[in-house]
Amino acid sequence: MATLDSLGTVLTADLLIVGGGIAGLACAISAKETDPDVDVLVLDKVVAGWGGKANKGGGNIVFMDPADGIDNFVDFHVHNVGEFLEDQELLRDFGNESRGNLERLESWGVHIYRDDAGEPKYVRWLPEQPWRLAVLDQDLTLNMAKHARKLGVRFMDRVEIIDLLKDGERVCGAIGFGMVDGACVVVQAGAVVLANGNQCYKLMPRWSSAGGEGIAAAWRAGAAMRGAEFGNFINWVFADTKEVCQGAEDVLYNTKGENISKRVRPTLESDVASKEVVEWWNEVKAGNGPICANMAENYVNNEIVPAFHEDKLAVRPVSMKFWGLTIGKAMAASTVHGPMQPVMPGLNAELSPIKVDHQMATTVPGLFAIGDACYAGACLAGAVPAPPGRMRGSGLGFATFSGVRCAPAAVAAARAAAGQPDAAQAEALKARIFAPLGRTGMAAPDMVRAVQDVMAPVGYALYKSADRMEEALDKVLALKAQVPTLAAGDPHYLAACHVAESMVLGAEMFYRASLVREESRGWHLREDFPQRDDAKFLKWIELRDADGEMAVSLHDVPVDTYSLRP
Amino acid sequence: MNAIQIDRDRCSGCQTCYDACFVDVYRWDAEADQPIIAYPEDCVECNKCELECPEECIRVVPDFPGIYWPEVV
Repeated sequence: MATLDSLGTVLTADLLIVGGGIAGLACAISAKETDPDVDVLVLDKVVAGWGGKANKGGGNIVFMDPADGIDNFVDFHVHNVGEFLEDQELLRDFGNESRGNLERLESWGVHIYRDDAGEPKYVRWLPEQPWRLAVLDQDLTLNMAKHARKLGVRFMDRVEIIDLLKDGERVCGAIGFGMVDGACVVVQAGAVVLANGNQCYKLMPRWSSAGGEGIAAAWRAGAAMRGAEFGNFINWVFADTKEVCQGAEDVLYNTKGENISKRVRPTLESDVASKEVVEWWNEVKAGNGPICANMAENYVNNEIVPAFHEDKLAVRPVSMKFWGLTIGKAMAASTVHGPMQPVMPGLNAELSPIKVDHQMATTVPGLFAIGDACYAGACLAGAVPAPPGRMRGSGLGFATFSGVRCAPAAVAAARAAAGQPDAAQAEALKARIFAPLGRTGMAAPDMVRAVQDVMAPVGYALYKSADRMEEALDKVLALKAQVPTLAAGDPHYLAACHVAESMVLGAEMFYRASLVREESRGWHLREDFPQRDDAKFLKWIELRDADGEMAVSLHDVPVDTYSLRP
Repeated sequence: MNAIQIDRDRCSGCQTCYDACFVDVYRWDAEADQPIIAYPEDCVECNKCELECPEECIRVVPDFPGIYWPEVV
């Protein structure tokens, strides 16, 4: 009979955090601040501090100032962003704690830029929005990792965690493998925090790191999912380079010279919405494409984006180099010159459905989720993909908020009861995890492309209808049947096989939840149910495993207990 | 596929590129103390290896036309 030691390297920790990006680091640091004696271990698929998205994004973080009014913030969000599917209590907490979280980040080595009066420098995405974007540099996670080490947080890099170990109903550890040597790694822990991101389907350059392994691990451990129908974020991209075209949503023109954006967003709105993507789709199908963004009229690109780059706001050496190089290469390769730039929808998805409570506890005892893994599952943002959830800067904001929120509860859980991993369970999981290495079969990149083919079409994932989604789901289920044939030749591609499997699972979650919501709300647009239906669908949609099947259920949003009601 | 060019005469063997790559493109040749471009097909042109190289001896050449893009209409 196997022992844990016979399966591979065995690690122990009070608290295991999977993922060393901003959320995982915020949680690790907060855990040590909660209890300096707690033993915290952070595992990262590559290298903690370098991974994740926070150090490759805009370098802005949302915060509320008392002058903005928290009531104004919640009111604006509920009416203009999440359409009453927000957990309004959590949204209010997020706003209230945002200013303090800026100061926390600063105390952890993150450079928050301040004015002469000591106030955080900021910009607003739109002038009337009751929230602010502070700026920070892209070395934030490296500085946080350095700070975490000083506090005694332990790190192990290049370890890919695939599954969770359970003692009865309680999570008591995790199992995976080394990305370089392929050796099995077993972790015994009092509690586990998943901080390894959401599901982006790896289509967009740069933003493609998140493969959803944490979501899949949580699902296999029995965790409920929520808000999966909103995992369909689309960014506008230049057609030739696939580089993001900020602000295109307001200045889309067809070949007749008509501004098609104005039909659906006559005034400036808070960020990209799905309805202009539908306009794009209809126009292209009608033969009025390619659709161009008129860059001469692009308010966001011309007024807001440059504000981040002006020395008078903040000189951010790492961010400036990053954007200068990446955008510079794309611009140099651009084949179209002049203000009218052909654009197209680029799938980011941002499926983030792990259901969590206000302390970021999942429905499985001993298991927590933070950051992009659970943004939609927390229901903070409502009927939108998150991040950004039509609120730029909320990715870093929610990662910090959820990491800080989670730490005391996760430490308490880790201290309360240490389960004992079962060697036979671990042995069976190890066999499943490593199975692709012994096969000849489907290569992971082929599976990834096949999932992209089912998630990227606007008519499937963005402009939904029952018949098209059933067609898409059939394709997903056909791919699911091929998962047991995935084959890998080394640890890198073994990880890729598990990412591909996670993508298939994510796509199934998305379409199953979307089929049930027979209304249109936020980013969930149904051609066959074009109206919002508060009578039937002021509800959160949950997914749970039921003997291997994905069971869908609806749960009332407790609006009667909230300050704002439809 | 993106190309990653390394001027190996100038490489100091600091491993920054190996650490900075978040999609596991690199492996490390301990004997030669040099990076190995093991999985260039997975490069997503974040450019971090190029940006962070203290010797400035790495260049990422994105293959924009080669980006796989499904039919979206």
